Amino acid sequence: MPDSGALLLTALALPFAAAAAVVVLGDRLRLRSGWLLLAAAAGSCALLASLAASLDAAAPLLVRLEWLPAIDVALAFRADGFGLFFALLVSGVGVLVVAYSLGYLGADDADRARRYYAALAVFMGAMIGIALSDDLLVLFVFWELTSVSSFLLIGHHFEDDDARAGALTALQVTALGGLVMLVGFLLVGQVAGTYSLSRITADPALVARLLDSPLGTWALLCILVGAFTKSAQVPFHFWLPRAMVAPTPISAYLHAATMVKAGVFLVGRLLPVFGESPLWLPVLVAVGGTSMLLGAYQATREVDLKAILARTTGSILGLLFLLYGIGAAQQDALQMLSHALYKGALFLVAGIVDHWAHTRDLRKLGGLRRALPLPFAACVLAALSMGGIAPLLGFVAKESVYGAVLYGAALADLPTLRLGVLAACVAASALMAATAYRFTAGIFLGAGARAAEHGGAHGAAAPEAGGMLWLSPLILALGCVGFGLAAGTDAAAHAAALLSSVGGGGLELSPLPHLGAPLAATAVTLALAALIHWQRQPLAALGDRLHVDVSAAALWQRGLAGIVRVGEAFSQRWENGSLRWYLAGTLLTFPLATLYAFARLGLSNDTIVIALDETPWYGVLFCLLLAAGALAAVRARNRLAAALASTASGFLVAMLYVVYRSPDILLTQILIETVSTIFLLLVLVHLPQFASRDQRAGGGLTRATVATAVGLTATVLMLLALSPALRAPDSIGTQPGGLLSLALAEGGGANAVNVIIVDIRALDTSGEVAVLVVVGLIVYGLLRTRRGWT
Amino acid sequence: MRSDSPILRVVARFAVPLTLLVAVQIFFQGHNYPGGGFIAGVLATAAGVMYLLAFGTQRLARVAWWRLSIVGLGIAVLNGFVPLLRGRAYLDNVTLHFGTLHLPTATFFDLGVLLIVIGTLMTIFVELSLERR
Repeated sequence: MPDSGALLLTALALPFAAAAAVVVLGDRLRLRSGWLLLAAAAGSCALLASLAASLDAAAPLLVRLEWLPAIDVALAFRADGFGLFFALLVSGVGVLVVAYSLGYLGADDADRARRYYAALAVFMGAMIGIALSDDLLVLFVFWELTSVSSFLLIGHHFEDDDARAGALTALQVTALGGLVMLVGFLLVGQVAGTYSLSRITADPALVARLLDSPLGTWALLCILVGAFTKSAQVPFHFWLPRAMVAPTPISAYLHAATMVKAGVFLVGRLLPVFGESPLWLPVLVAVGGTSMLLGAYQATREVDLKAILARTTGSILGLLFLLYGIGAAQQDALQMLSHALYKGALFLVAGIVDHWAHTRDLRKLGGLRRALPLPFAACVLAALSMGGIAPLLGFVAKESVYGAVLYGAALADLPTLRLGVLAACVAASALMAATAYRFTAGIFLGAGARAAEHGGAHGAAAPEAGGMLWLSPLILALGCVGFGLAAGTDAAAHAAALLSSVGGGGLELSPLPHLGAPLAATAVTLALAALIHWQRQPLAALGDRLHVDVSAAALWQRGLAGIVRVGEAFSQRWENGSLRWYLAGTLLTFPLATLYAFARLGLSNDTIVIALDETPWYGVLFCLLLAAGALAAVRARNRLAAALASTASGFLVAMLYVVYRSPDILLTQILIETVSTIFLLLVLVHLPQFASRDQRAGGGLTRATVATAVGLTATVLMLLALSPALRAPDSIGTQPGGLLSLALAEGGGANAVNVIIVDIRALDTSGEVAVLVVVGLIVYGLLRTRRGWT
Repeated sequence: MRSDSPILRVVARFAVPLTLLVAVQIFFQGHNYPGGGFIAGVLATAAGVMYLLAFGTQRLARVAWWRLSIVGLGIAVLNGFVPLLRGRAYLDNVTLHFGTLHLPTATFFDLGVLLIVIGTLMTIFVELSLERR
């Protein structure tokens, strides 16, 4: 029996290894790259299943590899029930989706197969990473990885404007939410002193500290924003329908089974930490309930197959948040599994229909039951599960929801809220059941529509549309039946409790109707659904009349445009291209920052230790010449004269180094002066005439003021340089431990300046020389671009 | 760019190799006397610029100087990993012994600095001198 820690890491690493293999071999394998990923996903799934089989609820497996021990960040993974369940869901549905993709990607996509499968593999690995991460920062890394890889997957048809826009919106919303979530994680780390989830949850003192601290409240809100954006909750729900431009297997995988559930999963992870927070119930019930109702309602108004499914997905995710809000966390695994099975199946069926009929518009479809019998069967089963009909898993899940709402302890003191939540759940479920019927009937029942006939003719010529495409949705749909029938057994109840985020029991499952209040609620739901379907035309007219033209998507676009406008205004004001403006800003920063430093250190004239009367007469002479040179540079009529005058000053400074006997700096100064003079001469010929513009009144005075301020600051700074207040007394000098003695002892060189540069402070130097290299490359690029790369 | 002055060309014919020799000397004495990679690099650049002014841009423009700076950066950074092989910290100084020759790894770091300075400055000078007036 191999080490289970190694098993866990292998399960996590397999998809990433597959991604690397696809990138390397994808050019040759093209469409066959998928087989690599299929093998990796199946291997991952098998490893995770073996881990789940030997799961010990009391002591879940923990793997911890130190990463940044200084700030207590470790590559820590935890394989508890909930994490393993989610990872199994990701890899299991992943196997089916990859298998489906093998048939779905046609010859048109051969050139993009590498990109597709590599991004899909990275996505799968990142999702498994999210499921198993125990460290918040590691979780964040995987979280963002899913955002980036889903961007690539949604934008698969990147020649299409809509695809690019949809991918970009999804990335913007989820990445923004991810950043807000990172802030929340950092706040948790600040308050709790660790990023390890298992350590926080194991220590009641830490949990109490997080709940009591105001920062903890902000952390909760920030993390919830991350979860809501990822799971497409109000007001961030708009990105999900737009992301339906993705290839259908991607929609099934990302936008039904896994990625959008990451937000729900995260909230489940946080339940033991923040579950007692006073904000927990109101925020989750409000956002989840609103999203549930809005999604279910909007689904009835869509005609695009995938848009319908996307809206209902947002609705179900809202229900999951709502359940967390009212403390019904034992059934989260059940709900996630139920939704992943039927929604995955429906998406894959939609993909087959799209492939076959070349349209996803429900108004143009119909009567496909003979042409596509197996997808029809899968669709019926999945739709029955979605509608909550016994004995499918959807029925079990729905009964559990009603049971939790009716008997849940968290709502015991809030009878009105209990009633409201119940009504909302019934209404949303009824809308959902009506949508499930409309979806199935619209595609498969009734008379054959024109598009279907066209598709029939076309379908015969497009064998790839048949293939094995029906297999994956059928397996998922049969899963709805199988899990539903098994739900009554003791093993199922045990597993559902073991795999949920809170563990423990308290879940009674049965695939068969039994008398009670939940059954009454189900009956009301189905009656209401029938009513909605029967009265659908008056209801649609009513909806048209009540339609309010408020779109979260439009608000989001306005916000984005606002950011761009602010940025432009800022650039125009501050980056106006005037060299004088930049120079003034840079130069003025220097005296102001120095003044601030002086004020903080309390420096004054008294701390000047240089005695000017020790200077020899020739030193004073050099200084006077230096001043004359500077004055000549200022008064010069053209640039050439100014450049020569400042060069003269530079050499006079070099003479001062002779006076103070520092050959090292003398050498440097002379060389730099020489080279920079030549540089100036090379540049000057390209500059416009000196002082041709900007000679307005007062300009000279401003410049003189800036120059004087800078000069004075530099003078004062030099006078104070040797002041004891400016340096720690023991850091420099020849005493033991001082830099100068270190130079000889450790660097082995007598030239202390050089040894400090290349050895003792080598890290600083490598940073500086890297800047130098970059500057050189920029100059090269700028000048070459201007000349046109001749 | 090419100078019309025969005096400059005659002087440069001697001064350029001489300056380069001094640059080498300054580079190696940097450990114990005034000098080092940075100054040696600037001095070598001065020699290059003198060549540029006297004999024109043609031959020097054929060299991809920016690559030299990348090579220098590579040497400086990779050299930092050598101490890791001996169980020391990144960029720590380790003295390598080849028979009677003792080379501290800091020398290679300094060599990287030298190449970076030459590469960057020569890039700037050559590119500037290629600019049309």
